[in-house]
Amino acid sequence: MTIGSFILKNALRNKRRATLSILSVAVSLFLLVTLMVALRELTLPPEDIGAALRIAVRSKISIANVLPARQRPIIERIPGVEAVSPFTFFWGTFKNEESLTFAQFAMDPMLLRVLFVELKLPDKEYADFEKDRRACIIGKLTADKYHLKVGDRITLASAIYQATLDFNIAGIYSGTIDDRNMLFHHKYFDEATGDLGQVGMWWVKVKSPEDMPRVITAINQAFANTSAEVRAESERAFQLGFISMWGNIKLLVGSICTVVVFTLILVSGSTMSMAIRERFRELAVLKAIGFRRRELFAFILAESFGLAMFGALIGVGGAYALYTYGSIAKMTNGIFITFEVTPKIVGIGALVAACLGIVASIAPAIAVARMSVVNGLKTLD
Amino acid sequence: MAPANIVTIRKLSKIYRQGEINVTALHDISLDIQTGEFLTLMGPSGSGKSTLLHIIAGIDRPTSGECRVQDVDVARLNESQLADWRNQNVGFVFQTFNLIPVLTAFENVELPLLLTRLNRKQRRHQVETALDLVGLADRARHLPRQLSGGQEQRVAIARALVTSPSLVVADEPTGNLDSQSAHDVLGILQTLSKTAGKTVIMVTHDPKAAAFGSRTIHLEKGELTE
Repeated sequence: MTIGSFILKNALRNKRRATLSILSVAVSLFLLVTLMVALRELTLPPEDIGAALRIAVRSKISIANVLPARQRPIIERIPGVEAVSPFTFFWGTFKNEESLTFAQFAMDPMLLRVLFVELKLPDKEYADFEKDRRACIIGKLTADKYHLKVGDRITLASAIYQATLDFNIAGIYSGTIDDRNMLFHHKYFDEATGDLGQVGMWWVKVKSPEDMPRVITAINQAFANTSAEVRAESERAFQLGFISMWGNIKLLVGSICTVVVFTLILVSGSTMSMAIRERFRELAVLKAIGFRRRELFAFILAESFGLAMFGALIGVGGAYALYTYGSIAKMTNGIFITFEVTPKIVGIGALVAACLGIVASIAPAIAVARMSVVNGLKTLD
Repeated sequence: MAPANIVTIRKLSKIYRQGEINVTALHDISLDIQTGEFLTLMGPSGSGKSTLLHIIAGIDRPTSGECRVQDVDVARLNESQLADWRNQNVGFVFQTFNLIPVLTAFENVELPLLLTRLNRKQRRHQVETALDLVGLADRARHLPRQLSGGQEQRVAIARALVTSPSLVVADEPTGNLDSQSAHDVLGILQTLSKTAGKTVIMVTHDPKAAAFGSRTIHLEKGELTE
């Protein structure tokens, strides 16, 4: 027998309790990791080079308010601006589906590769998209989901405009942070809706990252005190603002994470206290035959730590395996495209488990340290 | 030449505090115990015999007076030194056996040796010797629940002996045993004293058990009566 096997036998002496303890840690850490990954995915700033040069310009009132098309030449004349494209949400439903399953945006196809440099699309497909006014390109995820291929025709009925449009799929793209969208010609949209002279928002590309702050200020000032004031912001700020429409999700998720960890500490602390209290007399015997306080503390700590870390292995490891090798897009019905359990999140999960193991062992360890051998031997007598 | 004293107790008192009340468990005890002696402590419940045994064994401390075991003033050792001292010098046998239920008889006996520097082979040899001594070599792989009460107590005696302590303390070791098992256990303790030269101090209520000892002392209300 070794000290290690002695600790292991003690930890597993009540198999049902050990299993339930491990599972409670595992489930809680799985939830914690899931929440942390979800929060990260929601607040993840766009990291591609294109995002560093893009500015989103929307109505100052709300993103649902449209902007006049006449703003385009004004923005184009601002020094540092390289390109400006309208970007209008069509809200079309596909086939007989009741709700929107992928977003469609009308834009200027000539500027596709200028604005979205990270977008991958074969040259021929891009050329076909550019020359056919009824053409569209579709993100790979949506194409895969609906088994769509180049050359197919689709029809979308808008939920906000009086228009039902037919499209020819000219290409299937990938490489963007959201490969679900469909992009088509703004001129086609204008024709179908009676040329309203409106756009949903503008995507602006600046010539260099250094131009970004100045161009943002200039755009905001250009339309200040007009009937269509705008809010120009970097792509990252735009996305965070978009998320903020859900409420303070960071605070909400953070609060849930805190509650999960706190509850876990209480449950684990209580379980360890019970497990040690049942063994008070045995621990008194160990003290009598020569085990010192620090050795008993090490036993308790190792047992608590071991159970917590085994729970972490199942919970954090399970989350890692599920989100790495499973199809998160299918699991979340397309809400999340990626769901990356980063090394940092794995580390936080393991750290929480380690802290949990230590904290849960403190109260029983203090009780055992304070226990006299004589009083311990009287326990349950 | 008379054997040397292994335990020397002078003017030893122990007072417990229960709430606002002081309870005197031992009062002004002086006692010498010789090496190799099988001393039995008798007395009614609450007479202080277990308290005296605990102080001699170093698991309780006196309020005043001196208790020297092998010339070591046990009360002056700190917690850590006391733990080491107990491991090397004292073997414990309890009324309720107090074996660890998840460990086999072999592993229970091996437990005190985990604190020593012996390697696995040396530990195995000592455990087998101790189990052989109590006649349980063939039950080494059994868990405590697979043993009878008498066998459990014999395993506990093997655990007490495995570190070769000079002093074995037994607190009513036959209290939970049938008469045959009690006889076996007392026979082992007597053999330890007579042939192995161990000093055995046993607390008992039973005059028949006390008869196995080489000397019996009586306590009443915390004082020696003979």
